[in-house]
Amino acid sequence: MVTKEEIMKIAILSKLYVAEDEIDKLTEDMAEIISFADTINNASDEGMDFDNINGLSNVLRDDVVVPSLPREKILQNAKDSDDGCFMVKNIMK
Amino acid sequence: MSESKIAALHKALVEKELSCTELTEKYIKAIETENGELNAYVTVTAEQAMETAGAVDEKIAAGKEIGLLEGIPMTLKDNISTEGIRTTCCSKILEDYVPIYNAYVWDVLKAQNAVLLGKTNMDEFAMGSSCENSYFGGAKNPHNTAHVAGGSSGGVASAVGGNIAVYGLGSDTGGSIRQPASFCGIVGMKPTYGAVSRYGLIAYASSLDQIGPITTSVEDAAIVFDAVSGHDTMDSTCSGRQGAPVCESLKNDIKGMKIGIAKEYMEGIRDDVRSAVEEAIEVYRSLGADIVEFDLPSLKYALPVYYIIACAEASSNLGRYDGIRYGYKAENYLDVNDMVKKTRSSGFGEEVKRRILLGTYVLSSGYYDAYYKKAQNLRGRIVQDFRDAYRKCDVILAPTVPMTAFENGHAVSDPVETYLTDICTVPVNICGLPGISVPCGFDAKGLPIGMQLIGNSFEEAKILNAAWQYEQAAGKFRAADIGVRN
Repeated sequence: MVTKEEIMKIAILSKLYVAEDEIDKLTEDMAEIISFADTINNASDEGMDFDNINGLSNVLRDDVVVPSLPREKILQNAKDSDDGCFMVKNIMK
Repeated sequence: MSESKIAALHKALVEKELSCTELTEKYIKAIETENGELNAYVTVTAEQAMETAGAVDEKIAAGKEIGLLEGIPMTLKDNISTEGIRTTCCSKILEDYVPIYNAYVWDVLKAQNAVLLGKTNMDEFAMGSSCENSYFGGAKNPHNTAHVAGGSSGGVASAVGGNIAVYGLGSDTGGSIRQPASFCGIVGMKPTYGAVSRYGLIAYASSLDQIGPITTSVEDAAIVFDAVSGHDTMDSTCSGRQGAPVCESLKNDIKGMKIGIAKEYMEGIRDDVRSAVEEAIEVYRSLGADIVEFDLPSLKYALPVYYIIACAEASSNLGRYDGIRYGYKAENYLDVNDMVKKTRSSGFGEEVKRRILLGTYVLSSGYYDAYYKKAQNLRGRIVQDFRDAYRKCDVILAPTVPMTAFENGHAVSDPVETYLTDICTVPVNICGLPGISVPCGFDAKGLPIGMQLIGNSFEEAKILNAAWQYEQAAGKFRAADIGVRN
């Protein structure tokens, strides 16, 4: 059974705030979804070790230098940037 | 007689029955009149469309040859990156995001002078089955606007079904191309994992996502698939189409083709949907195909396996939305951590947050083995079951969705009930197989019913061939043209 405390812990790991008035409904929804996921509990997965679909392997390109995106373009969607850098508040005081 | 809308319009352009500018104008006008009700488009790119149309007309006037997709008005789901054109994923967190590069598929089509009419509506981050999780409100079903277009590629299906685009590209993680195509009475194909580059497709669940065509005919789906299924060095999982162009074998005889029916697919299906699929089986018998029946016992685990894996991957993929490099950023905050949390909490919608939380839960210490690892192992079992099935048949026939389009507002009430509607579509994504939805009937209210043909890996040619033959034999189920006629 999923508890409120577990949901709060998962929210911290997910970097999400859960409002006080949302927590009961969310715990209820999550409990329902997780009990649905629990239907796999009784399935046997003996001898199965899944690595990838279709036995695909990576398709690698030759290691040659190609142009990369210009800095101004990369910064153009940032809400705050300065002197060619993304801006955030101080991380360490 | 050509059933292909693309081929018919191409012929009209080449024979100068109408100019590309006239054709494009017609579609832009149709969007102006129809989109208010359908809500299919979230961004309309009329100016660029007219520019491209003008260039195509100049080429035709100069006596130059034009390609099949050249000058044909189309649309892209709003999670496919378009340089300089807003790409929102229908989320507040990307509301004003303008990509600085093109998705591979758009690069390819743009180079062929495809006329992009605009970007279409979807469930936020492709998470949903009704399109109602969109930040911009859901797209409506062109057959009856009191019903949803389906999801998550609801906008593309609504636009193509309502004839305010000739064709479109959507993405399919658990049925997001096939389900809305089924709801809107048109054709939608999810290619084999790795057949079409995902470069520039905003990620939901990377081991399941795939881009594919939504069209009004099987032939159009084949034309568009041939165009976009190249090898791309920017997606290391993409090997491109294997073998000859699918258009070459589209019209082959299917006498002796083995059509597989798995009884698990036919359980829990609404009666009218099941009888429509059973009638399709009879059509295949009359075409000389052999019907083979078998069991796919692991299918019962497909849905929970899908939701565990998809949410786990989503929780990781959506970690990048932190307000720093692009997208929405919270305005008042104490420190970086508070900024990231506030940005994500008000930038993401309810369903997206629910899936991030579920994904984080199944990956967290103490639950990883019971959920994520177990789901991955069962995924292996489902893959094996399908592999065995393809020793007995060429393609599998199944319903696309257990029901027809739900009424507006119905899907949002119960998350698990909504998840259950994906039961017939998710196995294809779990196994990386190609699947196509084709219209096969109508319910009592006149809403379309769809059936699904599922092929072995990289055997798009076979499912398209089988789908085309069915469409020829049962053409009466093709969606009536709604909106602008050509």
